[in-house]
Amino acid sequence: MVAAPTAKQRYLRVHIGLSVLYVALVALASYVVPDDAAPTPGVVFWSILPGLIVIGWIWNMGRYLFAMEDEYLRMLETRKALVATALTLAVSGGWGLLELFATVPRLPVFFVFPIWCLGLAVGSLVNLATAGTSGQDCA
Amino acid sequence: MKNRLKVLRAERDWSQQDLAERLGVSRQSVNAIETEKYDPSLPLAFKIAEVFDQTIEDIFSKD
Repeated sequence: MVAAPTAKQRYLRVHIGLSVLYVALVALASYVVPDDAAPTPGVVFWSILPGLIVIGWIWNMGRYLFAMEDEYLRMLETRKALVATALTLAVSGGWGLLELFATVPRLPVFFVFPIWCLGLAVGSLVNLATAGTSGQDCA
Repeated sequence: MKNRLKVLRAERDWSQQDLAERLGVSRQSVNAIETEKYDPSLPLAFKIAEVFDQTIEDIFSKD
């Protein structure tokens, strides 16, 4: 009998599936939408289509958080997300002000989610430093 | 919050992993509770009391 997948396995499977779909949709949008295209409804559709995957990633993370049965590991995961959110707000807000007053390269809004994901790694380090564990589910 | 988890576990010759399996949580959770880095929720505290066949007050106390 095959054992039912754990919450972590389900999360990883969905995450990998969505990531593959994301890469495929970005490639497709790059192929379909010409460079410097006017913002017609079709162009907007193809442009935001990969963005729906970002919503899927966030939904999957939320689902994993709710599915975690171990309250301590869930607390550590939640703390990681809070650290990531704080870091993202600080970086994007700070850089935004820098753009306003100084001649610096513009930070594309597109980078906000990857910055948040990097923040999760920082959150893991915070957990490691304060709780002695990064918060990875070893169960 | 202080607790007697380590003593109770030692009396039964259980490892942290043994207790974690009985409670249905991770070993990290047991370690965090034992070292008083984390206070368990009321449902988990009841489960701990049940596993050791004691009351919550017998296991946990205020600082």
